[in-house]
Amino acid sequence: MREFPKKRILVSIAAIFIGLPLLFWAVGDVPRRTVLKESLSLLTLLAFCLMLAQFFLARTSRGLLKDLKMGTVIKIHKVIGYLFVAVLLVHPFFVVLPRYFEAGVAPMEAFVTMLTTFDSVGIVVGIVAWCLLLLLAITSLIRKKLPMEYTTWRLWHGIMALVFISLATWHAIELGRHTDRAMSIYMSILAVSGILFLLKTYVAAGLQRRRMVSHVSTQQ
Amino acid sequence: MTIERIDGCIGCGICVKTCPTDVIRMDPKTKKAAITYPADCQICHLCRMYCPVDAITISPEKSIPVVVSWG
Repeated sequence: MREFPKKRILVSIAAIFIGLPLLFWAVGDVPRRTVLKESLSLLTLLAFCLMLAQFFLARTSRGLLKDLKMGTVIKIHKVIGYLFVAVLLVHPFFVVLPRYFEAGVAPMEAFVTMLTTFDSVGIVVGIVAWCLLLLLAITSLIRKKLPMEYTTWRLWHGIMALVFISLATWHAIELGRHTDRAMSIYMSILAVSGILFLLKTYVAAGLQRRRMVSHVSTQQ
Repeated sequence: MTIERIDGCIGCGICVKTCPTDVIRMDPKTKKAAITYPADCQICHLCRMYCPVDAITISPEKSIPVVVSWG
């Protein structure tokens, strides 16, 4: 009997974070390119949207995912994280990869030009977001070896994720080929909601802890 | 129009340098390339070929008319 709500939640998540961006991509007024270029664009786009989904596939949205076990939620969070963080980490290479099959600028030359154009805010913000994403991935992979408690790691993970998603959304809206008005609004709404969810969790937890401390001290 | 649009320009300015007919200029406000004189585009594709992020789209329908010299 519990299978139905579980499926409904997962289908809703897939519809919001995979279906909607696919729809915006399909109806968007962007000239179509080769299959390779469009596939790489689409993969990057979906990877980013699934990073937005990570904010909702965590303990921050315990209320929304009450029909799913927290263990299952964390498992999904980890699988999506490791798979699509890898995609986002290599996406700068996706931009220049088709150059191997075309005349014109050499792929390495294009790559260096792209990364050294510091006049573009989008590029600078993207580089910082990329470094943060790498840090997020490494600190998640070696979490148990880090000299900190789980709760401290979790707090840092949340803070880094918050800064990352703010910068990455800015980068995607500024430079994304498919981020037209509809896609930009969609990304902004989800990013802001994710950030608010995260802040609510930490601020509410902090307030609750403070209330408990004051309650214990008054009883003593 | 022959050069159609520029999406996701990073403002490196290479297209401005490669265009032989000065179709593209850098917008000082946005610091991005802008199609300023589209009528002058000769569809040489140099801007598209040398753009590091493949931001430039050139209309596929347009082609240069064949000019036969009678002289």
